[in-house]
Amino acid sequence: MAKPFRFGVQCGPVASGSEFGARVRAIEASGYSTLFVPDHFIDQQLSPMVALAAAAEATTTLRVGTLVLGNDYRHPAAVAKEAATIDLLSDGRIELGIGAGWMTSDYDALDLVYDSPGTRIARLAEAIAVIKGCWSPGAFSFSGEHYTIAAYDATPKPVQEPHPPVLVGGGGRKVLSLAGREADIAGINPNLRAGALTADAVQSSLADLTAQKIEWVREAAGERFDEIELQIRYFLTAVTDDRRGLAEALAPAYGLTADEALESGVALVGTVDEICDQLVQRRDEWGVSYVIIGDDNVEAFAPVVARLAGT
Amino acid sequence: MPHDRKFRFGVMVPRAESAHEFCETARQAEDLGYSTLFVPDHFVDHPLAPLPALATAAAVTTELRVGPLVLGNDYKHPVVLAREAATLDLLSNGRLELGLGAGWMTADYEKAGLTRDSAGVRIARLAESITVLKGLFADGPFTFHGQHYTINELDGHPKPVQRPHPPFLIGGGAPKVLGLAAREAQIIGVNANLRSGEGESSDAANSLAPARTDEKLAAVRDAAGDHFDDLEIQTLVGFVHFTDDASSIADVMAGGFGVSPKDALDAPVTLVGTENEMIELLETRRARWQMSYHVIPREAMVQFAPVLAKLART
Repeated sequence: MAKPFRFGVQCGPVASGSEFGARVRAIEASGYSTLFVPDHFIDQQLSPMVALAAAAEATTTLRVGTLVLGNDYRHPAAVAKEAATIDLLSDGRIELGIGAGWMTSDYDALDLVYDSPGTRIARLAEAIAVIKGCWSPGAFSFSGEHYTIAAYDATPKPVQEPHPPVLVGGGGRKVLSLAGREADIAGINPNLRAGALTADAVQSSLADLTAQKIEWVREAAGERFDEIELQIRYFLTAVTDDRRGLAEALAPAYGLTADEALESGVALVGTVDEICDQLVQRRDEWGVSYVIIGDDNVEAFAPVVARLAGT
Repeated sequence: MPHDRKFRFGVMVPRAESAHEFCETARQAEDLGYSTLFVPDHFVDHPLAPLPALATAAAVTTELRVGPLVLGNDYKHPVVLAREAATLDLLSNGRLELGLGAGWMTADYEKAGLTRDSAGVRIARLAESITVLKGLFADGPFTFHGQHYTINELDGHPKPVQRPHPPFLIGGGAPKVLGLAAREAQIIGVNANLRSGEGESSDAANSLAPARTDEKLAAVRDAAGDHFDDLEIQTLVGFVHFTDDASSIADVMAGGFGVSPKDALDAPVTLVGTENEMIELLETRRARWQMSYHVIPREAMVQFAPVLAKLART
């Protein structure tokens, strides 16, 4: 059954605390559900957990989330504790997005070994088990390949029951299967096996490949598929009267035709009416109801949010 | 620049029942004149994660400074930490005091499945971490090839608001870590020696005796050289108790910790007595140890406020 639409904004860099506060209040006022902060070690990005705590205090109902934490950058017991602290101090507004880690520049920055996707995803699976274990009542033990937890009764416990929504994002079969088994929200992303948002990654988001990714989630989820909220972070977004012209200008850089680009799972382009129609159509076809855009489009997309959010 | 040695006070807030309670505590701390709200960093017994909690406290106040007391260096990579700390400094408009220690509590390491290396290794790693943090806070790309961390041409972002960097608060109780603090930090946390890995050990308690505190200050002074006058000396007062009968409490403490009653009262981590006796104790400690920055437990925050009102900024 189709879930109600909701919308999120992925936050970019800010110059000051007051600018950040004003921006997140504007996002809340425009009807968006969630502020997301990414987790990378390049450019000017804020560190997510600190920024989410600040965003929650600057607002009253806005949910706050990571899109997504790179699992390899922190110990899952530390992640569980920070997320539970934010959940407590925001009165239950965190959504914990976590992925296997993919951007090679992050691994260079931290001087971490960039393991094979299989190893990174296996580690992510263990980390999710550790995080959920830390959030559960009582003491928790875990003896995995990558993490060991010894009778640890983690505190604080989160406010949301049974735990904050876990968002697992990815573009490959293994990680989307993991999302199907473990996540409350599945992020349907480009395949980032190349370690960057390359033409190959964008091409992996063509319409039929996006449908394939959702099928992977469904197969792994089994009966719980209907409980999973499907999310897409649209990287190519514009409210414009010239949908086709824009697509024709942009698509060749990614090796796509204009039509392929417009129908792909990374683009959301057109007038407010066209975008709304497209989102409804994609929810019908793919089941995707949770729509994320960048923070340069908060105002332009506000009419879309006003029309569709909660419907 | 020489530190003015004027008193200031922090409050230690390791837990909260709710968002409302935590935010009210932060606002009240600011209203009562506390300089800084501190949150500890442990996997066990201390239910708030420091950095998100400090971001929350900063967001609901305007002047209150915020700091971890102290982050365990081994729990996060310094590149991660640099970004988190700088984000907090940016979003709080320059109110972070960056407390960092070598990590010590055995239970933290055991519960999370981390290796607790020898004190020497942990302190060497802390020293490298401080270098990495300062390098990433500074302008431009930073390169470092250490024993524990390797950084290649990384330009840390965001940059903190406080330049060249937020004050470092480095705490410890043994000569090695205090020497490191004296060389690298702006605020020196003079604490128990926690080599046993447990806060409640007799070894830790004995290390707090006044004569031992003299030795710690001597170690800081030796390592700091001419620079000693620039350092702010801080301690965490674990036990604050208002009473007309300090000597009875001193007898009980002395029995519990295996020290003399006089040492129990004079130890820098206890404040027992009337308001006036506390003022006298704090004046004495400042004269003897240059200790002007005292962190009070959350439970004593309100009751201690009259003492604070008389001493803060004097």
